[in-house]
Amino acid sequence: MPHLRFTFVKSPVWGKTADQLRHDVVEGTDPITGKPVMQEVVSELTTPVSEEDKTSRTIPQSAGPDHFGPDTAENLQKLFREKGMTDYLPIVLPTEEKVDAMLKATSHKPDEIVGKISPTPGVYEYWSYSVRQVAVNAVMAGADPKYFPVILAIAAADKESISSSDNSFAEAVVINGPIRDEIGLNYGIGALGPFSRANATIGRAYTLLSINAGNCGKVGETYMGVIGNPMNYANIVIAENEKESPWQPFSVRHGFKPDESVVSIFEGWGVISAKNSKFAVWQKDMNFAQELKNIFDDQDQLFGGVAILSPAVANYVKDEGYDSVEKLTDWLYKSPDEPRSHFFSKTQINVLVTGSSNNLYWDYGGMRYVKSISVDQWR
Amino acid sequence: MATLLRSAVLNPEAYRTVRAAGGDTPSKTGSFRSLAPRLDSLNGKTIYLVDTGFGGSGKFLDQVQAWFAEHMPSVKTVRRRKTGNIFRDDTKDLWAEIKEKGQAAILGVAG
Repeated sequence: MPHLRFTFVKSPVWGKTADQLRHDVVEGTDPITGKPVMQEVVSELTTPVSEEDKTSRTIPQSAGPDHFGPDTAENLQKLFREKGMTDYLPIVLPTEEKVDAMLKATSHKPDEIVGKISPTPGVYEYWSYSVRQVAVNAVMAGADPKYFPVILAIAAADKESISSSDNSFAEAVVINGPIRDEIGLNYGIGALGPFSRANATIGRAYTLLSINAGNCGKVGETYMGVIGNPMNYANIVIAENEKESPWQPFSVRHGFKPDESVVSIFEGWGVISAKNSKFAVWQKDMNFAQELKNIFDDQDQLFGGVAILSPAVANYVKDEGYDSVEKLTDWLYKSPDEPRSHFFSKTQINVLVTGSSNNLYWDYGGMRYVKSISVDQWR
Repeated sequence: MATLLRSAVLNPEAYRTVRAAGGDTPSKTGSFRSLAPRLDSLNGKTIYLVDTGFGGSGKFLDQVQAWFAEHMPSVKTVRRRKTGNIFRDDTKDLWAEIKEKGQAAILGVAG
């Protein structure tokens, strides 16, 4: 609805007293137009609708030309930056040769529609994208063509990596199955850090795709994050360390076979080291399950909790009696001596395993599982 | 001196309307219906003030209602809380009620 009538009010609205709401907001001015709020509201209800807005229609399909240039590399980098089509880091320029090489890494046709993304579903319209458009963004991110089926699977999840919310949300991608070793994903030392081309560029491609193919991250229009989130640069890419984990891979717990390659999307606030919590205490006899529970019970309920355990911690927890993740999450959700659970559902608690075993560290975050997509169907 | 790239580069942006898999034309999701006709005046009209459920929405609309009572007393305001998820459509019959009993609606507010 391009001309849907809005009056903006001074935010934040929540947390204000009735008196503040009356004087600062309702009797204040629209911060965009500068007009008195209620005068504008009354005007919007009584000013006749334009001839254009009386007509049912569609907005233009094309975002612009198929190509830019030819021009110098410097000028094209500048053009992409000025059009808001990057993450403000230099990109790999998506020449036809590079995009064609990317397209050869999948059996799917270039014009096939892969999915759709909206900066916030239900608030903004979706944009849809083809295999070729995903390939262009994958090239820009610096991805090797062999990563392309993973990037296509992420694109097929129809999930934005940069929400318009003023909360500054982040997204995570969990990767399971043989593809991890096939393309060199890092699930050892520094698994969540910038230490592998595959991890780095798959995550970056998701961000560029969301910006360019999902209309996300346009500051002031489709992005309102108050603080912003550094995890939006390349998201949180988590290839599980299936070899050293004592439990079934995440994808297997969600119905996929161990030899299937799968991406699973999470959304929420992001992740942080558990050592940041007052509940993470070194002690003579560690009780990681209790530590996990204490931390989760202290978290916001909106997204639930995800724990990213190093294999060493995961095996500790297993030795504490939790020989399956299900047994662990059952207890974390509600132990027998608790009158009620902290979270609304057991499904709000997720446990992943990655990283190395050179110390007993782990991360946690308020993030919820969204969906899983087969990578193999995009080969 | 900078040199020209041998070939042009491709535009990374997507279709701005939703296309169905395998389809060449946009689906109805990308179409817009006409905006509702506006009122000549609000005098004597019934305006629904719809609380979306977002933080602060209800208290904000309380003050909007108070403003109408003070400044435009001929306007009848009706407060309603939209049902369902704050990001999704009403799950009951609120829009039908507004269509039947009201002449205009103000939805507010997010955050």
